Amino acid sequence: MATTTATEAAPSRLRASMAGARLREAGWGYGFALVPLAVFGLFFVYPFGYALYISFYHWGIDGKTSPGTGTFNYAKVLHDPIFHTALRNIAEYTVAVVPLEMALGLSLALVINQKLRGRNFFRAGFYFPSIASSVAITTIVLFIFSQNGLFNHIFGLDKDWFGQASTVGWGIVGMNAWTTSGTVMIFYLASLQAIPDDVYEAAALDNTGSWRTFWKITFPLLKPAHFFCLVVFGIGALKLFDQPFLVAGGASGNPAYATMYPILYIYNAAFGVFDFGLAAAAGVIYFVIVFGLTIVQRLTVGRQEAA
Amino acid sequence: MTSQTSAAERYIPGRARSETARKVLLYGVYLAVAAIFLTPFVWTLATSFKTLPDSLNFNLIPHPWTTAAWTDLWTNPSYHFPTYIKNSLFLAAVIVTCNLFLSALGGYAFARLRFPGRELLFLLVLGTLMVPDQLRLLPIFLMMVHWGLYGSFTSYILINLVSAVNLFFMRQYFLTIPRDFEEAAKLDGAGYFKIFWRVMLPLALPAMAALAILQFQGTWNDFFWPLILFGQGNQDHYTLQLGLAQLHSQFQQQWPSVSAGSIIAILPVLLIFLAFQRYFVSGAVSAGVKG
Repeated sequence: MATTTATEAAPSRLRASMAGARLREAGWGYGFALVPLAVFGLFFVYPFGYALYISFYHWGIDGKTSPGTGTFNYAKVLHDPIFHTALRNIAEYTVAVVPLEMALGLSLALVINQKLRGRNFFRAGFYFPSIASSVAITTIVLFIFSQNGLFNHIFGLDKDWFGQASTVGWGIVGMNAWTTSGTVMIFYLASLQAIPDDVYEAAALDNTGSWRTFWKITFPLLKPAHFFCLVVFGIGALKLFDQPFLVAGGASGNPAYATMYPILYIYNAAFGVFDFGLAAAAGVIYFVIVFGLTIVQRLTVGRQEAA
Repeated sequence: MTSQTSAAERYIPGRARSETARKVLLYGVYLAVAAIFLTPFVWTLATSFKTLPDSLNFNLIPHPWTTAAWTDLWTNPSYHFPTYIKNSLFLAAVIVTCNLFLSALGGYAFARLRFPGRELLFLLVLGTLMVPDQLRLLPIFLMMVHWGLYGSFTSYILINLVSAVNLFFMRQYFLTIPRDFEEAAKLDGAGYFKIFWRVMLPLALPAMAALAILQFQGTWNDFFWPLILFGQGNQDHYTLQLGLAQLHSQFQQQWPSVSAGSIIAILPVLLIFLAFQRYFVSGAVSAGVKG
C-alpha cells in the first residue's frame, strides 16, 4: 500500500524515467536474444514449414516441376513397400536395443555403485564408448566382425556378420547396445545413489540375500529411472542413422534392405533419387509417427513415472 | 552387492574368508567385462602399428612393429588426413566459440532481462527441440544451395551458431546466481552488456567449461550434417569423420591405416574425457542421448 501511494505521489519525471529504464531493459533483452532467435527461426521454424510446403509438390533437383498440389507424395510413401520395411526395421531395432541397453546399463551401474578399488577406472572404461565418434566405433566394429576378423577367429566362426541380411540388424543392435549402455549406466547410477542406505540395512538385518535384495528392493525402487530410460532411449533409438549408413556404405539399405531405416529412406529419397517431394513427405510422416509415440509415452509411462 | 550387505556381514563371524573369495571372483568378472568393453580399442591401436600382411594375423603385439600406417596417413596424398584434421579442428573451434558467446548472451537475456513476449519466445526456443533433423535436412540443403553456400564451411557454421540445449543450459545456470552481484554493478552505473560481460560471464565459467567440452565433442563427432552439407565429393571440406568414412569405404582392406585413422578420430575426445570426466558425466543428463 505504502509503495503504491509513493508511486502515485511521485513526480511524473520519475515515472517517465522508470518507463524509460524498462524500455531500455527490453531493448537490450531483444538485442541479446536476437541472434539465437534468428538462428532458431531460420533453421528450425522456417524449415518445418518449408518441408510441409515441399511435401505437397512434385519437387525435383530443378525445383517444382508441376504447378499442382496434392497429397500424392504421401500416398506414394505410404504405399511404398521399402518404407514399410524401414518402419518394420526400426520397430524391431528399437524393441531389441532398448531393453538390452537398459539391462546392460543397469548391470554396469550396479558394478560402479559398489565400494571397489579402481572404481573410476571401471566407470571411465564403461562410459567411454558412449562418447567416441560413431564413425570410429562403426569402423572398429566392422573390422573386428569382418569375415576374417578377431571375433570369428576367437569363436571359430566364419560369418560375415555385417554383410548378410540375416545378421546385420542384430549386429547394429549389439553395437549400439554396447556404446549406449555407458550413458544408461550414468542415469541409473544417479538413481542408485539416491536410494537411502537404511533401506539396505533393514534388508541386511533380515538376512536377505543380495540377489533377493536386488529384485525385491533395488529394482522396484528404480522404477522412475526405468521409465525415464524407456522414454529417453526409446525416442533416441528412432533416430538411428550413422551406423546403418556406414555399415552399408550409403543409404541404399544393402543388403536386401536390411539396413533400411526411416531416416535413411528420407536421405535416399532426397540425395539418392532426388525426389525432394517424396523425401519431404516421408520426413513429415515419420515426424508424425515419432511425435505420436512421444505423446503416447508421456501419457502412459510419464504418468507412471510421476506416480 | 557388497555395499548393501556389508552392514550385516560385519556382525557375522567366520564370513571373512568366503567374503574374500567372493571379492576375488567379482573382480574377475568386472575385469572381464571391462576387457570386453575396451578390447576393440586396444585391438585397433595394436593393428595401427602392424604391417599390412601382419594385420590379418591375430597376434596382439605387432610383428614387426611399424609406424608406417601413421606416417602414411600424414604423407600419402590420396588420404588428405592433415586437411581433414585441420577442417574438424577449425569447425569445432568456431562453433564452440559461437555457442559459448551466443548461448550465454541469450541465456542471460531469458534469465534476467524483462521484455514483452519473453515467456512465449522461450517456449519457441524449447520448441525447436521438437523439430527433428530428418525434417530439416531437405529445407536446409535447399536453402544453402539457394544462397550459394552449399558445400561451404559457412553453411555448417550458420546452422550450428547456437543450440537450444546450450541456451537452455546457460539460462538455468544464470537463474542460480544471486541477483546481488548485478545490483551492485547496476548501482555503479554499469550498462547491461557490461554487467553481462564483467559480472555474469566470470560467474558462469564452470557452466561454460562444461558447455565447451560437450559442444566440442558434439561437433568433432558429428557425421550427419557434414555429410549433408559437404559430403558430395568436396574433399577439401571433409571433416575427419567424413574422411574416416571415406577412407574405410575406399581402402577397406588397409586395416593398419584405417585403424590409425579411427584412433585419430577418437583421440581428442578421449583426452578431453580423461581430463574432465566429471563434466561429461554431469553433461550426459542435460545433453541427451546419442542416436
